Amino acid sequence: MAISQAMCTSFKKELMTATHNFTNSSGNTFNLALYTNSASLGAATAAYTSSNETSGTGYSAKGAALTNVTPTSSGTTGLTDFSDLTFSTVSITARGAMIFNESATGDPAVCVLDFGSDKSASSGDFTVQFPIANSSAAIIRIA
Amino acid sequence: MFSVEVSSSVASVSVSSTSNRGHTPEEVADRCLEKIIQISDDAPPEIQQQARAYCDALRNVLVYYMKQAVVSDRTTLFNLLKTQGHNDLAELLRRL
Repeated sequence: MAISQAMCTSFKKELMTATHNFTNSSGNTFNLALYTNSASLGAATAAYTSSNETSGTGYSAKGAALTNVTPTSSGTTGLTDFSDLTFSTVSITARGAMIFNESATGDPAVCVLDFGSDKSASSGDFTVQFPIANSSAAIIRIA
Repeated sequence: MFSVEVSSSVASVSVSSTSNRGHTPEEVADRCLEKIIQISDDAPPEIQQQARAYCDALRNVLVYYMKQAVVSDRTTLFNLLKTQGHNDLAELLRRL
């Protein structure tokens, strides 16, 4: 049982079948769901699962919707980004997360994120901070 | 035979959490600054110094206006609670 940070293999395939649209407002809705350290997630993860999803005060299944930043390019790299996501007034512990496409049939997975250790909030805020959106640090890059 | 190789990558995120409180304007300002300014380790020392000074000045401005926003939002909530008849709650909020 482990959470391994990865871009999901199924997502790479789905890029070639136009399953996902990261455009702000007019694109798909992407959610970020949180998972405990008992979850088994990685490159082979293909879709959202409620198995070992975090539970606690103020947190609902499937997490929360992300705000997409319309994809752009820098040099020869295509990239997309999301705004930081805050779960407010929650009491939860999570070891990792999954971003998945809430709009697409079957909630296909995009990537799995490993926080490195358990992160907790108690009657407080739990904020997932995305890196700066450039060709070397953006959350999702295709070079 | 031709082929085009494409590589994809996913970056790391960080998590900031709190207990029995929300994030302070100072903490939010620091997150905000990370999105606005990046100082390269390869930049000449004097440029790095200048960038850090700019960063500090910008941080003060961000913190000031975030605090203003918090106070202003409390005024909005105060009035909302009062119009709903929760005078005691409104008064508690006003005193914060």
